[in-house]
Amino acid sequence: MSGSPTSRPPVDRSRPPAAGDLRPFRFPSFEHVRLDNGLEVYAARSGRAPLARLETLMPAGAELSLGHSGLAGLHGDLLDEGSARHSAMELAMAVEALGGFLSTGAGWNVAYVDLGLLAQHLDAGLELMTEIVRTPTFPEHELERLRRLRLTELLRRKDQPQHLAEQWIDALIYRDTVYGQGLIGQQKSLEGFTLDDIQGFYRQHVRPNGASVIAIGDTDPDLLVAKIEQAFGDWTAQPDVPQPEIEPHRLSNLEVHIVDRPESAQTQLVLGHHGLPRAHPDFAAVRIMNAILGGQFTSRINLNLRERHGFTYSAQSMFLFRRGPGPFRMRAAVATDVAGQAAKEMLFEVRKLREELPSDEEVRDTRHYLAGIFPYTMQTIGDLAKRLEALAIFGLGDDYYQSYPANLLEVTPQQVLAAAQAHLHPDHMAVVAVGPAKTLRPQLEDLGPVRVVTPEEVMAGDVGDDA
Amino acid sequence: MDSGVSKQIMDSTLAHPLSDEHRVHFERHALPNGLRIVLHRDTTLPLVAVNLWYHVGSKLEQPGSTGYAHLLEHLMFQGSQNVGTNDHFRLVQKVGGTANGSTWYDRTNYYEVLPSHHLDLGLWLESDRMGHFLPSVTQEKLDNQREVVINERRQKIDNQPYGRGFERLHELLYGPAHPYRWPVIGYIEDLEQATLDTVCNFFERFYTPANAVLTLAGDFEVDDALERIDRWFGDIPTAERPAPLNPAPPQLDGEIREVLEDDIRLPRIYLGYNAPPFGDQGWYTGDLLATAFSDGKSSLLYEDLVYRRQLAQDVGCYILPTETTATFAVVSTAKPGVDPAELESALDEHLERAGESLEEHRVERAKQRLLTNHHDHLQLLDRRADFLSHYTTFLDDPDRINNEPSMYQKLTAGDTSTFARNVLRRDRRVSLTLVPRATDSTETPRGDKA
Repeated sequence: MSGSPTSRPPVDRSRPPAAGDLRPFRFPSFEHVRLDNGLEVYAARSGRAPLARLETLMPAGAELSLGHSGLAGLHGDLLDEGSARHSAMELAMAVEALGGFLSTGAGWNVAYVDLGLLAQHLDAGLELMTEIVRTPTFPEHELERLRRLRLTELLRRKDQPQHLAEQWIDALIYRDTVYGQGLIGQQKSLEGFTLDDIQGFYRQHVRPNGASVIAIGDTDPDLLVAKIEQAFGDWTAQPDVPQPEIEPHRLSNLEVHIVDRPESAQTQLVLGHHGLPRAHPDFAAVRIMNAILGGQFTSRINLNLRERHGFTYSAQSMFLFRRGPGPFRMRAAVATDVAGQAAKEMLFEVRKLREELPSDEEVRDTRHYLAGIFPYTMQTIGDLAKRLEALAIFGLGDDYYQSYPANLLEVTPQQVLAAAQAHLHPDHMAVVAVGPAKTLRPQLEDLGPVRVVTPEEVMAGDVGDDA
Repeated sequence: MDSGVSKQIMDSTLAHPLSDEHRVHFERHALPNGLRIVLHRDTTLPLVAVNLWYHVGSKLEQPGSTGYAHLLEHLMFQGSQNVGTNDHFRLVQKVGGTANGSTWYDRTNYYEVLPSHHLDLGLWLESDRMGHFLPSVTQEKLDNQREVVINERRQKIDNQPYGRGFERLHELLYGPAHPYRWPVIGYIEDLEQATLDTVCNFFERFYTPANAVLTLAGDFEVDDALERIDRWFGDIPTAERPAPLNPAPPQLDGEIREVLEDDIRLPRIYLGYNAPPFGDQGWYTGDLLATAFSDGKSSLLYEDLVYRRQLAQDVGCYILPTETTATFAVVSTAKPGVDPAELESALDEHLERAGESLEEHRVERAKQRLLTNHHDHLQLLDRRADFLSHYTTFLDDPDRINNEPSMYQKLTAGDTSTFARNVLRRDRRVSLTLVPRATDSTETPRGDKA
């Protein structure tokens, strides 16, 4: 630390240098109030950047469109295509003149209107967001335009190996539940939606109770809350709609599915089954467990497939967290002649994690990674908005992120092992390989029964009864 | 439209976009061995970004030996004399940090963001691979990472719809003499022939202190940080700074046209032009024009081609931030049933008309969006560090991070028109169309078969 550069002893390079003193990090403070009409309001002050962020989350997610796959997404997409005061293009021009980025749409859990803009334009932005949420007009020609855009997008997905694999595995592990249908919808369903369907979905699901507004701006949070109350306070509550229960389909044994693309330069592998809901008490242990398996660069499957074998550029595993039990997936794009071996190595790592207690060191390093990275993931107002979204959607409790790093640091090797045993199921896994069936079948058939499908069958989404 | 909102905005367009509190403050230093240093202190979060740029990229490779800079990026995460093979990521992650690198035509960057009390870890890792890398390289590591890179190339290019589009555009736009013609990731046949010797020679020439810029951004004390940098990097021997390579821009004296088949459903058009290099005022004009053309629903090309006439599924315009000359590209995918020739002539009409005049309100909106982008990017410590390294490496001017907004804000619609007229010339460009492979005699290249 001290001493002039000329008189110092030579530096010891032979081992990692010792750490200095830890500086603490605190999750930013925010206001959370519920208006009389049920609307939840989250408000916070932005940091150094002269930017503002405004979001409305509505209980109109795709989980509510069972049997109408793609309806929630189309509805969400249409929200900013015309309001009582502005046409679609006028809204776009107004937002972009604020230096703004507006997006509307729907995920599984909520529909959203998301607006980022220069801080000085916050009031004008709030006016636009309120208008979009409360007075959308759903013009017929905009429905037709977005329908065509989405049908074309579906057509393109047929050429994207990862989309094909993920769409098929979702259909296999979720069958007839809404998670099996895909967010964007299918050709048949998209072709059938009418303006009545869209307007009906809006009337049923978009209401203050169950919705949240997140506002981050260059001003006092109390003042932000007052502005939002002024904009949304007179919005009338409506009866609640119950959240659907999602019952995933558990495969009776490991199944292999090949999506045949004879000319593929590589094979896309996706293996998986359903996971667990976001609010599950095992969440922290599962995050550590998944990071060890495939959730970080030094994970077991990446070190195995990439660094040891050179099979792939990247191998990962992930749990996608939703209100219901979202999917668990392992994924790698591999050289076709080693695809069978790569799939077996992934299954080997899953079994090993279920059978052997991980070392203290591996669990400790992973805990420190996930807890330590937290401040890095909290740099922008978008980062803060994302955390507030999670509080609003999953009901985690307002102090959740205060103790979040500490909760991760408490996970033990025994809990990781228990989480692997409870949430990884190698004998009930779907293995999907997108590539040339002729080369792939002999490599994969000793894993389990093999079914070969075409990209067209994947896009149709019909897994049949005996898949 | 309701003019209330937009009028108010137009009037408030900022003459001086950055107040002092939004400037990025920094200091410049250098070590006797030539390592240039930029320090930006910000103690808001307990983080420090360590960002190291080497002034070497794929342009310094030779035809037949492409992909070395990127292959070296992979190898440099395989340890050095004092860092074990898989230890770089492991040691960074276990303290709650993140690390990565990227390679491009003119430069390679390596970076860590660490909890600030682990600054020494980042300096140790980066200095060890700058000064003590070669003894650790083995044939086995080379062979393994060669396979990883070949798989990376297959995943991102060869097995992706439209994957070859951009690569082919550059081959046509820059061939045969300019080094931007080959892809940064290299060609598979060149990667297969790379030897330990040639790769190590490449490292020895270009990965020296004098050819690098180190930026720290975040929570540290300036004097203390300087002393630590000197401790870790000071004993790395001086080597002569390689002469900068600034080949003359390619001279196109006509339009080059090509149609290429790919495993796709919808044809895509790529128009490529040769534009002023990154850092020039002309480059910023090009970026503003690209933003006005295709960024946001109310941008010119999106509004007309995607939104109104629905000839295109998407449209994007870009100017690449390269050092010696830049590519301005217009990329657009035809809707099902739309003849790519029809889409191309619609694009041409717009480009020609933009050369005559461009509506002021479009350019003003683009300026607002670029200003939002600027502030949005600078929220991230790692981006701030990366920009400072970038501007120092290419322009010897880290203060560009603060002056860049005014380089956009002072432009007028007339400037963007002049750019369109002089740069986006039909008689000096590449027009490449990717079309669906004709697998049988009934399929047309129009992509309207479902």
